[in-house]
Parts: sequence; structure tokens; C-alpha cells
Amino acid sequence: MKCEKCGKNTATTHIKSIVNGVAKEINLCSLCAANEGYGNISNVGLAGMLASMFGESLQSVNENIGVKCSVCGATFSNVAKTGKVGCAECYNTFKNELLPYLKRVHGSTVHAGKVPNSAPLIVKPIQKTVDDLRTQLNRLISEEKYEQAAVIRDEIKRMEENSNG
Amino acid sequence: MGRWYKENSNNSIVVSSRIRLARNLSGMPFPSRMNDEQREKLKQTVKSAIEESNTPFAKLLKYIDMSSVPENEVMAMVERHVISPEFAKSVKNRAIILSDDESISIMIGEEDHIRIQVILQGLQLEKAYDIAERIDSLLYERLHFAFDSQLGFLTECPTNLGTGLRASVMLHLPVCEAQGEIQSLSETVGKIGFTVRGMYGEGSKSEASLYQVSNQITLGLSENNAIRNLEIITNQIIEKEMKLREELDTLKLEDLSYRALGTLKYARIMSSKEMMNLISKIKLGLDMGIIKEEINPIELLVESGPFMLMSKKGEMTAKERDIERATELRKKMT
Repeated sequence: MKCEKCGKNTATTHIKSIVNGVAKEINLCSLCAANEGYGNISNVGLAGMLASMFGESLQSVNENIGVKCSVCGATFSNVAKTGKVGCAECYNTFKNELLPYLKRVHGSTVHAGKVPNSAPLIVKPIQKTVDDLRTQLNRLISEEKYEQAAVIRDEIKRMEENSNG
Repeated sequence: MGRWYKENSNNSIVVSSRIRLARNLSGMPFPSRMNDEQREKLKQTVKSAIEESNTPFAKLLKYIDMSSVPENEVMAMVERHVISPEFAKSVKNRAIILSDDESISIMIGEEDHIRIQVILQGLQLEKAYDIAERIDSLLYERLHFAFDSQLGFLTECPTNLGTGLRASVMLHLPVCEAQGEIQSLSETVGKIGFTVRGMYGEGSKSEASLYQVSNQITLGLSENNAIRNLEIITNQIIEKEMKLREELDTLKLEDLSYRALGTLKYARIMSSKEMMNLISKIKLGLDMGIIKEEINPIELLVESGPFMLMSKKGEMTAKERDIERATELRKKMT
């Protein structure tokens, strides 16, 4: 099937839209589809995609907006706006917020490449301590966010069982 | 090794291979949150790490403070792919460690503290990675890199997290481009975590049908797998371009490439855009065995860049540059 816009290339994108209750269907080639704004997500630039993803998350994790990275002072809102983190410690501070997005960008949250093996390296697992989690749990309970609190409670339980066993 | 654009490649579709590793020092904020004092300290720390390593390898490398480089030469370095356009935007408090042949460049203070880049002519991803990896090891013997056992090497932008590796190839795809295949190519490789961009990376357009294909995923995928996947994709793109080339009308192709050659040889005024366009056609003619002259089109293209010309001959207006470009090309080709 030829593209219904340029009539030249093969149509590869089928677009169905409903505007004011009127359904419309059109078949476009990838070039015309991109021109109409139905392009591939990778073309908006990764930073843009990240910023928009972070922006969206800001509303759902706004309880953390006030939290500042203890090393560089960045807030999660800084990270979300620029798509850049302030320092290495930010990955620790904003881990819970960042992990879902790392998963979306990379399809994974676990490094599978080179591990430096020389002595001067500081290898610090990003894992919140039980104390950190307790603080978070208390805050969530005081804010009556019981669903999120339950997740944290289970995590504390699991960590304690692991360290005892 | 030599400069990537000076060596005439036998594998004509792949113009160059590039490896970039992003590394950061622990205990220092990432570049966008650094003050001048921290930036200065960063430069000196990396400089001494290389100098003190005392390996024969390190002796090939030279430290250059970017603030000492003339403006036109900074931009000429971008045209030679020695530094990124991003790095050239602000040279203040930035430095580079560079090998003689410019195949190795270590950018200090770009988006990450350290960006190790190796660029080689043709399809040589594994060799380029091998060199980059050696520099990486040499550096981390002396520096504390920000590394996390779960997330790998920590980078300013989460899109580089993990291996910090960006492997890319620059491909000459005139026929894929002419037949409107680039968009669908971009979509296909996009689905498997790769991206197609113009000659100078993100957001840039290609004037000479040169495209960069590179990996996007850096977390959960090893360096070797990322490189191997890119090689597989590259070979498939080559196959596609070759297949489309076979279907071309020989006479039309001869006409197209000889016209381009004639114009490049005899024109008196030549814009950068026209030059790139013609070189692409000449390269196609050369690679298809139509033009048999001893020409390295990629070298002509890089050396005819606006800043390459001005870095050599001094400041010029756009009009003067176009005349100078035509004169230079005529000299080189006749």
C-alpha cells in the first residue's frame, strides 16, 4: 500500500484518530508519519525523553521533592529538569525514583560490564540501610501513605531476615 | 594507526569506528555542578594520573589546556571528530589529552569528568575498544572512579550509566538515503537499542550521506555484547546499501559521479554544503569502481570544513571561504 500523503513510499504506519467523535484512519510512510508527529521516540533525543519521563514522575513522587543530595545539594526536581544527576551520591539519594526510569531506558537496572578490580576503588552498593528505610516508613505512615509504607515494611522485613539468616 | 580521515579505507561504507567511555571521579560533583576550583583540580588530577603512569603508552599522549587553543582550531577539532560539539561549546576550564595521530583523545570536564575516545578508520570497533580499555585501566590504577556494584560506572546522565560505553560507526549511505530508507532504518535499529544520527552526533544533519549508528543501552549489557551487536547491525546495513547499489543504472551512476568530480575539480566558488554533496557522489563512484583516480574523499571532506580552512589560513568571511575551498580542492585534485 502506498502512503496516502505523498503517494510515493510504502505505507508503514497506520494511524487511527478520533477527533470530536469522528474516527479517521490514514496510512502513511515512515517519513510522512514523522512529519505529522508520529515519529519514533528515539528521534526526540534521549535527554528530552528522560526529562519528560522525570517530569511525569515528579507528580507521583513529590513527597521526595524536598530531599536534597547530601553531597552536592541537588534535589530530585533539579535532576528531573535537566535529565542529569548532580554527583555519584545522587544515585543513592534518588535511587527509588531513578530505578524505574533506568529500567525504561536500558531495560535493566543491573550492570553487566567491566568491573574495575584495582584497590583504590570505592565500591559502594546502592542499598538503603534498614535505618534509612525505617525513617522513610515512619514518614509515610505519618503522611497516611499506607500502600507505599507497606512496600517499605516488607523490604525491611526481607532485609532483616536476610541478615539474620 | 593514523588519522581516521587520512587513511583511505578499503571497506568503503564504514568510514570510521569510534569508542567512547564515560568516567567520573568519586568525591567530586559531576561537571555541571562543579565550580572553577574543582574544575581546575580535576584537570590537574587527570593530567598527573597520565603523566605519572610512565607507561610507553602514556608517552604518546599530550596534555592540552583548551583555553590555550585558538577558537578556529577548537572548531576544527570538532570537524576532525577529536572533540564533541558539546565540549567545544565552552572551553573554559576544560582540557584534552591527545595522541599525536589524534586517534586517542581524553576529554576532561565534558558532560562527565573524563571521556576517553578512540577513533579509527574503517570497521575496527574491537581494536578501538581494546585501546580505550587500556587507557581506562591505566587511569583507574591511579584515580578513584565513581563505581557502584549494581549500577556500574556512574555518569552525569543516567543514559550512560553502567558501562559508560558509546560505540559508534560512521557509515556512508547515499543510496539508502536517496531511496528514503534512513527513517525506517532508524526505526528498526531504535527497537533494539541503537540509534542513527547525523555526522556530528545528536541533532546534526547529514550533508554527505554520512550517518552514525551507535548503542543507546549501557546498563545490563556488557561492552563486548554492545560492540558485537553493533557489528552485526553494521553488517546488515552494509548488505542493504550494497543490494540497493546493485540495482542502480550504471550509466546514470557514471554520469552522476563524473559530473560531481568535474565540478569539484574545476569550480571557483564552493559552499560547504555543495562540497559535501559532491564528495558523497564521488565517493560512491570510487567505491563502485567507476572513478579510478587516487582520491581520498573523506580527507578532502574533512579538510574542506569551514574551520579547518580558517584554522590553516586565518579568519575569513563565508564568501572568502567558499573561494578558498574551491581553490584548495582544485589544487589537490589536478
